[in-house]
Amino acid sequence: MRSPRIAALAALLLLAAPLTACSSGPTPASTTIGIGVDLPLSGADASVGTSTLNGIKLAVNRANAKGVPGGFTFAVQALDDTQQGVHNPQQGASNVRTLIADDSVLAIIGPYNSNVAAAEIPITNEAGIVQISPSAVSDGLTLGKDAAMLRRANPSVNTFFRVCTTDSRQGSAAARFALDLKLKRVYIVDDNETYGLDLANVFAHDFAKLGGTVLGRDHIAPDTQDFKALLLKIKGYHPDFIFFGGTTSTGGGLLRRQMFDVGMGKLPFMGGDGIPDIAEVAKKRADGTYYTVAAPNADLLPAAKKFVASYKAKFGGDVGPYSANAYAATEVAISAIEQAIIANGKKMPTRAEVLAKIPRSAKNEVHTPIGPISFDKYGDVRKPVISLYVIRNGRSSFIEQLNLGE
Amino acid sequence: MHEFLAQLANGVELGAIYALIALGYTLVYGILELINFAHGDVYTFGSFTALVVLVALRAAHVLHGVGLILGIVAALLVAILACALLNAGIERLAYRRLRKAPRLAPLITAIGVSFMLENLIELWQGSAPVPFPNVIPNPELRFGALQVGVQQIVVVALAIVTMIALHYFVQRSRLGKAMRAVAQDRDAASLVGINVDRTIAITFLIAGALAGVAGFVGGVSFGSAWFLNGFGAGLRAFTAAVLGGIGNIAGAMLGGFLIGLLESFSTWFIGGQWSNVAVFSVLILVLVFRPSGLLGESLPEKV
Repeated sequence: MRSPRIAALAALLLLAAPLTACSSGPTPASTTIGIGVDLPLSGADASVGTSTLNGIKLAVNRANAKGVPGGFTFAVQALDDTQQGVHNPQQGASNVRTLIADDSVLAIIGPYNSNVAAAEIPITNEAGIVQISPSAVSDGLTLGKDAAMLRRANPSVNTFFRVCTTDSRQGSAAARFALDLKLKRVYIVDDNETYGLDLANVFAHDFAKLGGTVLGRDHIAPDTQDFKALLLKIKGYHPDFIFFGGTTSTGGGLLRRQMFDVGMGKLPFMGGDGIPDIAEVAKKRADGTYYTVAAPNADLLPAAKKFVASYKAKFGGDVGPYSANAYAATEVAISAIEQAIIANGKKMPTRAEVLAKIPRSAKNEVHTPIGPISFDKYGDVRKPVISLYVIRNGRSSFIEQLNLGE
Repeated sequence: MHEFLAQLANGVELGAIYALIALGYTLVYGILELINFAHGDVYTFGSFTALVVLVALRAAHVLHGVGLILGIVAALLVAILACALLNAGIERLAYRRLRKAPRLAPLITAIGVSFMLENLIELWQGSAPVPFPNVIPNPELRFGALQVGVQQIVVVALAIVTMIALHYFVQRSRLGKAMRAVAQDRDAASLVGINVDRTIAITFLIAGALAGVAGFVGGVSFGSAWFLNGFGAGLRAFTAAVLGGIGNIAGAMLGGFLIGLLESFSTWFIGGQWSNVAVFSVLILVLVFRPSGLLGESLPEKV
C-alpha cells in the first residue's frame, strides 16, 4: 500500500523540479523599476491606507508620463500589511522582505504605522534600500538609542526617511493648539502602542509645561469594546477635553462614540494624526474632534492645488490625510532614482547609488506639493509643518498651522 | 457616590451582555460537555444581522415613531432567528457526527468552526469595524444619585426578560424537562423515549437565540460590530460561565454580571489597561481553587 504512494510522490517531485529550475533562471535585463509600497490596505485602516496609496500612484503616473531617463518605466508594487483587520508589524516585515527579494525594486514607500516601521527598518537597513514613510511619526524611528538599535546591521548607513514630522513635535504642537483653544484641563488616554503612547507622553509633558493641567492618564487594553467605564471615571474629573494618543482603529473611534452614551458628547476630543478617519466609526458623533496632522494643509499650498485637482480628477473622493505626503515621498524617491540612472550612464542603478542621491541639504531639496523636502542626518525633514483640523458636520475643516524647525 | 452608581450601572449593562453569551456556553456544556468555542462568533453574527436589518430599514426611512419600535423588534427577531439556525446548523454539520468521538475532537472542531465563522463574517462585512446605527434615543434619566441612559435600561431589561423566559422554559416546559433529562443521562433519557438528537438540536437553537439577543444588545451598547468581536467577548463570557459553574444556568447569569462589574470597577480603580488582567485572573483562580464554580456544587442539576 505504502510504496506506490511514495513512488507517485517522488514522480511528482521529479516533474516539479525542472519547473522550479526554469523559473529561477536568469531574467532578461528589465526596463521596469519597481517602487515597492507597504501600507495597510484593508481592515480598519483601509481608507487612510488606500488614499495614501493613491498619492503614490499619482506620483508614479506623472513620472512615467513625463518620461524616465534611460527609457525605464516605474511600476507600483503595493503589499498590504493588514492582518486580522489591523496593521501588523510581522506582516510588514515579511512584505518588505518580499519587495527586497525583487531586484527591480529600488525604493520602498511606507509603512503607514510606526510600530510597523520599527519592524521594517532593520531589514531595509541591512539591505541598503531607500525607505521613505509618508506618516510614521514615532520619535524612536530616527532619533536616539531606539533608532540606533534599529540600525544595528549597518550603523553607519541610514536608509529610513520620513516626510512627516515626529510624534514629539506633533504632541507639543497639539499642546499649544489646545491652550490656544482655551482648553486648560485635560484627561489623557492612550492605546499603549508605540505611536499612541509616545504622542500622549509628549503631549502630557508639554501641556503641563505650558501651564495646562493634566488631571489623569489612562491606557486602554487592545480589543476593548466598552469604554464607558473609563469615560465615567474621567467624567468625575470634569476635564475641559479628552486627549487621545492612538488611532481610530485602536479605540479612538469607539471612545469618541461612547462619550455620547455617558453624557460627555459636548466635550471636545483631541488626538493626533491617528484619528482623521474617526467619522467612519463615530459618524455624526465625531463632531467636535480636533486632530493634528504632521503635514501642511494641501488645500492651502499653491504647489498643492495642482496635486489636489489631479487627485480628485483621478480618484474622485477627497484627498486623504497623508495622500500629499505619499505623493511627496514618492517624488523624492523617483528624483533620487532618476539622478542615479543618469549618473550610471542611463543604465539600471544599484540601490546604494539611489541612496546616495537622496536630498540631504537645502541645495538639492526636492520641490513637492507639501513644500521643499530634504532630510537631516537622522532622516527627518528639515522644515516640518503641523496643521490642526476640527470635524464639524462630519467634515474636517482646517484651523491653523505651526511651522517648526529651521 | 455618583460615580460608584454610574460604574455599577455600566457594569450591570456589560454583565447582561456577558451573561447572555455565557448562557450559550453553559447550555451546550451542560448537555454535551462540549465547550462550543464557536459561540462567540455566533454572537458576532447576531450583531451583524441586526445591523444589516437596521441599516436597510433606515435606508427605507421607516425608523421613526411606531416604525422605530417595530424596526428594533424586527432586527432583534431576525438576529435571534439567524443565530438560532446558525448554531443548530453548526451542531448538525460539525458536532453531531463527533458525539461518540474522544472529547478532544469536537473541541478542536469547535475552534475550527470559530475561525471559519470569523473569516466568513470578514468576507461578508469586511475587516473594518462597522458602526451600529444609533436607533435607541439615549436621553439620560435621573433616579436620585443614579444617572442612567434609556439605552442602558433597554439593554438590561431585554437581557433580564430573556433570562427569565429561559428559566421558565427549562424548568417548566416539556422540552426543558427533556433537556434536563438528556443533560443528566443521555442513555437513560433515550430509554424513556426522549429524542436525544432533537433535544440537543433544540438546545443549540436556544443557545443560538440567546447569542442573537446578545449580538443585538452588544451592538447597541458598544456602537459597532467587528468580525473579531466574538473572540474577546466570547472569552470573557466563557470566564463568566466558568466562574458561575459551567453547566449551571443560574451560575452563568451570576458569573456574567460579576465579570461585567469586575471589568467596570477594575477600569475605575486600577485603569483600563488592567481590566483584561483582572477578568482572566478570575478564570485562573476559579479553575485552580474552585473548578466547579460558585454555584457548581450547591445546585448539582445541570443543563
